[in-house]
Amino acid sequence: MLYEGVILKIEINNVSKSFGEKQVLKNITFTAIDGEILCLLGPSGSGKTTLIRLITGSLECDAGEVIIDGIKVPHISLMKNIGFMPQSDALYLDISGYDNMLFFGRLFGLYGKLLKQRAEELFTLVDLSNESNKLVINYSGGMKKRLSLAIALLHNPEILILDEPTVGIDPVIRRVIWNQFELLRQQGKIIIVSTHVMDEAERCQQAALIYNGNLIAHDKIENLKTQTKSGSIEELFFTAKEIGVNL
Amino acid sequence: MISLIIRIVKQMINDKRSLALILIVPVLLLSLLYLLLGDSSYVPKIAVNESFPSTILSELKNQDTEIIILESSENTEQLVKNNKVDAFLEINNVGIDIKMLEVNSVKVVKITDVIKKAMTNVNPTGSLTINYIYGQTNGSTFDNLGYMLLGVLSFFFVFLISGISFVRERTTGTMERLMLTPIKRSGVVAGYTLGFGIFAALQSVIIVLYTKYILKMEFVGSVPLVILIMILLAFTAVSMGALVSIFANSEFQVVQFIPVFIVPQIFFSGLIPVDTLPYGLSNLAYIMPVYYGCTALQNVLIKGFGIEKIWRYLLMLLIFIVILFIFNTLALKKYRKL
Repeated sequence: MLYEGVILKIEINNVSKSFGEKQVLKNITFTAIDGEILCLLGPSGSGKTTLIRLITGSLECDAGEVIIDGIKVPHISLMKNIGFMPQSDALYLDISGYDNMLFFGRLFGLYGKLLKQRAEELFTLVDLSNESNKLVINYSGGMKKRLSLAIALLHNPEILILDEPTVGIDPVIRRVIWNQFELLRQQGKIIIVSTHVMDEAERCQQAALIYNGNLIAHDKIENLKTQTKSGSIEELFFTAKEIGVNL
Repeated sequence: MISLIIRIVKQMINDKRSLALILIVPVLLLSLLYLLLGDSSYVPKIAVNESFPSTILSELKNQDTEIIILESSENTEQLVKNNKVDAFLEINNVGIDIKMLEVNSVKVVKITDVIKKAMTNVNPTGSLTINYIYGQTNGSTFDNLGYMLLGVLSFFFVFLISGISFVRERTTGTMERLMLTPIKRSGVVAGYTLGFGIFAALQSVIIVLYTKYILKMEFVGSVPLVILIMILLAFTAVSMGALVSIFANSEFQVVQFIPVFIVPQIFFSGLIPVDTLPYGLSNLAYIMPVYYGCTALQNVLIKGFGIEKIWRYLLMLLIFIVILFIFNTLALKKYRKL
């Protein structure tokens, strides 16, 4: 059994989505499980962000369904369990980083001492402790990303959904962030990360390759590598392009 | 919801420009208007016939006026037209007829003011009728303008700032993130309305007190009632700002809605007397929140009506707030079906 001993899973069943005439995703099916990082790989415009929105419940599937922990998305009880980091920073620029943290923390039902303690913990984690009282408008791009990540982690969710979390982040911080993902994975969380950087896939357990709205492959990383001559996952996209995967 | 209010308050305090736009700019504009229309060193030139009662005439002379006594053969209308005199007075059986060139607020206010003062000492019950050579509006432009501005200014600025803030929330992606927390959709709308409502209320209090105690505009009605009207109007403005932001994809597009949503409301705010409008256009007023707000303001400020006479207007504003609230809550379904 592939999913034996799995406590928590995200099932994506035959999901399709169109915007007007344009079909963006077609019959996507795969499952993410706890204790693993799943990366959504694909060139920009392939439909990764749309898929992520369908998983978080920001968008509704035209066909198919997303089931998290046996509950169909969207459901209010799932909200507390999902930490989401959007591709845009999605921060309030005219208040301090700390106030951003407090705001989202309160929405997740954290209050008082616990919230402050948690906020300070996370500022240390993303290395922003000295910057926490600055207005976010004065943050650099990388600092905003890190704050956004910290907010996604704030309520200690079981599921983390991160849309291109390391874009525009320097290599040192990128490594720190990925080490953090690894730590969270070991705690038994489900992590779904979208990226178009192939070498980040090396740090995941599973990958789902999206190309032109199709799922061209989904497997464990080591299995995907054996599918190509050179051992690089990237090659799967070239193959997809050659055979002309279209909607 | 409380957390949303706290956040909006913090944002506003950090955003000095918006804060100034809401709290200081209306005060400055009202002061400017007051200076433009109010106290000037202008001395009215008033012409009367030889037959004019000398009791009133001597009272008029006691005030800051220039009196010209005409021979009965002179063409009074021509004198007024040539700006030789500002007003021509004639006595009739109930009071005084005033003939003036046109509806020019400064002159009208000043002249009616001196004549009223002169009359109180001689014949307090006498009435004044004003005839204009150009334009036949009876009633004081200045009063309507000042009171109308109270309503329109606060509505406009609150609309602008809440609309832009809401649209920013959508474009930066914070709305999506907000909707992925366990907050209720109605909580978002309520938080927004109350968060900006706090500043709108503060604005109302400042404007009203400033107008009454510093500009010393004459208020007949009760100050708390005026503030209540202003607050209700401002809440409507927040809700309308949020509504408009649904149809806007950028801050600039919010500004583009000003001619559509704000300018027509200014027309119906009392700037033009609504009951004189042709083609049944006056019925349009019923869908304009500013109409209800400004009419209520006018009734309280000028006529001194109490809440028992204006509650219908307040009720209409409340209905607007409720309808817009429901609409805005539904509109958030775009982000989350729940």
